[in-house]
Amino acid sequence: MTKSKDNLPTIDNVSVEDRVTIETGLRRGATRREVMSWLVASGATIAVAGSIVTSAKKALAATPKKGGKLKFASDLHGPSDTLDPGLNTSTIDYTRSRSMYNSLCQINDDLSTRPELAEEYSSNESVTEWTFKLRKNVKFHDGSNFTADDVLYTMSRHYGDKSTSTAKPLVADVKEWKKVDSHTVKAIMSSPNADLPVILGTPQFKILKDGTTDFQKSVGTGPFVTTEFKPGQRSLHKRNDHYWRDGANVEEIEIFAITDKVARTSALLSGDIDLMQALDPKAIRQIESTDGVGIWSVASGAYFGICAMTHTSPGNNPDFVKALQYIQRREKIVKSVLKGQGTVGNDHPINIAYGADHCQELPQRTHDLDKAKFHLKKSGITSAELNVAEVGPGMTDICLLAQREAQKIGLDLQVKKVPNDGYWGAIWMKTPLNVVTWNMRPTANVMINLAFAPDAPWNDTLWNSKRLGKLLVESRGVTDLAKRHEMYCEMQRLISVGSDEFPPSGMVIPAHRNYLDAKSDKIEGIGRMPLGSLGGYEWPEFAWRTDA
Amino acid sequence: MQRMVIQRIWIGLATLWVVSVMVFIMTAALPGDVAAIVLGQSATPESLAAYRAERGLDQPLVFQYFGWLGSLMTGDLGISKAGGATISSLIAGRLYNTMLLAAIVAVISVPVSVMLGLLAAMYPGTWIDRVLTFGTLSLISVPEFFIATFMVLILAVKLQWLPAIANISGDETYLELLRGLAMPLITLIIVVAAQMIRMTRAGILNVMNSPYIEMAILKGVRRNRIILRHAFFNTIGPIVNVIALNLAYLVSGVVIVETIFAYPGLAKLMIDGVQTRDLPLVQACAMIFCGTYVVLIILADVAAILANPRLRNPK
Repeated sequence: MTKSKDNLPTIDNVSVEDRVTIETGLRRGATRREVMSWLVASGATIAVAGSIVTSAKKALAATPKKGGKLKFASDLHGPSDTLDPGLNTSTIDYTRSRSMYNSLCQINDDLSTRPELAEEYSSNESVTEWTFKLRKNVKFHDGSNFTADDVLYTMSRHYGDKSTSTAKPLVADVKEWKKVDSHTVKAIMSSPNADLPVILGTPQFKILKDGTTDFQKSVGTGPFVTTEFKPGQRSLHKRNDHYWRDGANVEEIEIFAITDKVARTSALLSGDIDLMQALDPKAIRQIESTDGVGIWSVASGAYFGICAMTHTSPGNNPDFVKALQYIQRREKIVKSVLKGQGTVGNDHPINIAYGADHCQELPQRTHDLDKAKFHLKKSGITSAELNVAEVGPGMTDICLLAQREAQKIGLDLQVKKVPNDGYWGAIWMKTPLNVVTWNMRPTANVMINLAFAPDAPWNDTLWNSKRLGKLLVESRGVTDLAKRHEMYCEMQRLISVGSDEFPPSGMVIPAHRNYLDAKSDKIEGIGRMPLGSLGGYEWPEFAWRTDA
Repeated sequence: MQRMVIQRIWIGLATLWVVSVMVFIMTAALPGDVAAIVLGQSATPESLAAYRAERGLDQPLVFQYFGWLGSLMTGDLGISKAGGATISSLIAGRLYNTMLLAAIVAVISVPVSVMLGLLAAMYPGTWIDRVLTFGTLSLISVPEFFIATFMVLILAVKLQWLPAIANISGDETYLELLRGLAMPLITLIIVVAAQMIRMTRAGILNVMNSPYIEMAILKGVRRNRIILRHAFFNTIGPIVNVIALNLAYLVSGVVIVETIFAYPGLAKLMIDGVQTRDLPLVQACAMIFCGTYVVLIILADVAAILANPRLRNPK
């Protein structure tokens, strides 16, 4: 019987900030009594505080054990599975790549970076030039040495007309990758970018061996060697014994997908898998009431959005958009649709998961039918059709909830359900009202740039704000933290509220969803990096079995 | 006799050709292409164009069809548009898995259901017949995903006797393989056996009403002998056809069972192919399924002809 089954919250249940406070406190030697008194002072009961502290101490005290095998089931796979990082688009791809390759820089849970294959990196004053000093004595799985040429080759795959890289736009501002010596490379920027190390920590920029074109073989420097890879079936990854740092804890990882969510949950419950991606929120209670398994929920900036296209009616009417924003029952969406595994949205993409870039000064928009009614009347619109596909778990429910609220203010919001199949090509950005989900991006700048910049190909609402475009570019060169925050705040205000001259973006963002996965209690060492499932796919190197 | 078999083979080949045209047109008519699906939400016009050019997706459809048909004739199934691997390599393992499951199910379910069907026909109206009728009718009406999910809940999650999934890889021991396959096998046997039992029983009872059976009864032959000697051989035609259809279903239609048990079979591969708009893969799978049907139906016809002299010498 584990503590969490007493239905008392553990360290995994508290908010991001509280967890950091508690863990830092304990690390710095605060006693159990002290930490408990903080918690009780902030409103927790003694039992709750005790449970939280116990679990936190347990997590800190545990030292990883070596050995054992780990089975991970993702939610999607198919013939398009690929070990080419540049073409990676799914969790299963990212996880495989994470086990097989390394990045130059590694992203921490708070979105700062630490050295990985680059042991040192720094920029010049104006952030127009980044220098990466590469680690020596790193070997690829085939025994060859890792050098600057490998980095140059890897980066070259993200440029040019022939590049099929899905992350091309992220490094478009790097004009040139230059080899300084065998273990130093420079990125010469066409415009400043202070966030380059974070971007290089994202999945697509995993470092390949110079000249690699065949991705059926294992050709990385990573903690695991891929010994079997059958797309749409499974892959096996054996621990790399010649790894350049401590190395993985488990001996072998098996990665495959169980597409049926009920079957996936059953497999975890029966012990046939150890880790599963994408838990259906409806199954939370089932997982929590079963011994030996638990949910793994990480607050992230991933969001649900209703897009009102700004070039056509009704989205080109700012009052209509405001009405749509005021009818959102944000708290209820988080509580009922997301079963508590999310945070409320403020109609812009940058929530608390983005840390310092989140604008807390911007007032939270709330459910207000009077204001909604006022704006709807002003807009003169009485009916609209919203195209909905279940692009994320709960999207349809969010729209149905909006439909019910819309009725109360006299808006006939027709929710038209369309299949997921072909949604991104035929409906998204094509019909006046549609829905979108975005995963969190590594930086606020990248997120806004992808989905809101005036020239962005995926600008959900075709919103054109010159001011935002200017701020996006300027903020990249700013190293002064206060100034940076001010600029990001203005961007969030522009998207959510608009300015005197310009209307807002037309995006309704009622909620951000956590990454909700589940794991066996026997598996520890899963991180909380918020950029993807199970701690941003970072787990292969760090996960370990308590029963090993 | 020989002429009839050859004729049937020709008809089979013609069917396959018609299907190939239909499959090609229908897959091409699906909205969105492989580039849009693979690159998904993150597609840009340039990355789409680059992807299409790289895989020959920008050529006219007629070209694509004849190119495909030509290489199909030579046994080359082409290259997956999505992953870049050859389709034969993608299919090989999956086909084996599907055939393995189908073969075990067939070996168990066909003799058992024909025997049970005979048993029910021999003693119509008795408790044996009633139990069998009640059982088969209930099982036919329960969808297979319900049977499968229910079994997982009881046998895997609650009792933990069997694994919840059957993602076999080829390097497990016989015992592991058997444990993994147990639940998919039971599910499929239940589904196909019920139908075959019903059909055998109905076929025989139908023949029992014909004049020559009446003659045999009047001659004083025992009922069991009538059924086994006279009625059964005259019913082989329809029974074999039902068996053939069920076997073909085992190869092509078990996608629900494959999904619930994460079994790496061919039907699942085809669905993955549809999702990624991997046309060559979908086409190859469709042709294999169609080929299976044609071959099995030809075999069933031949068996029916062998069992029934009247079909051998048509008027």
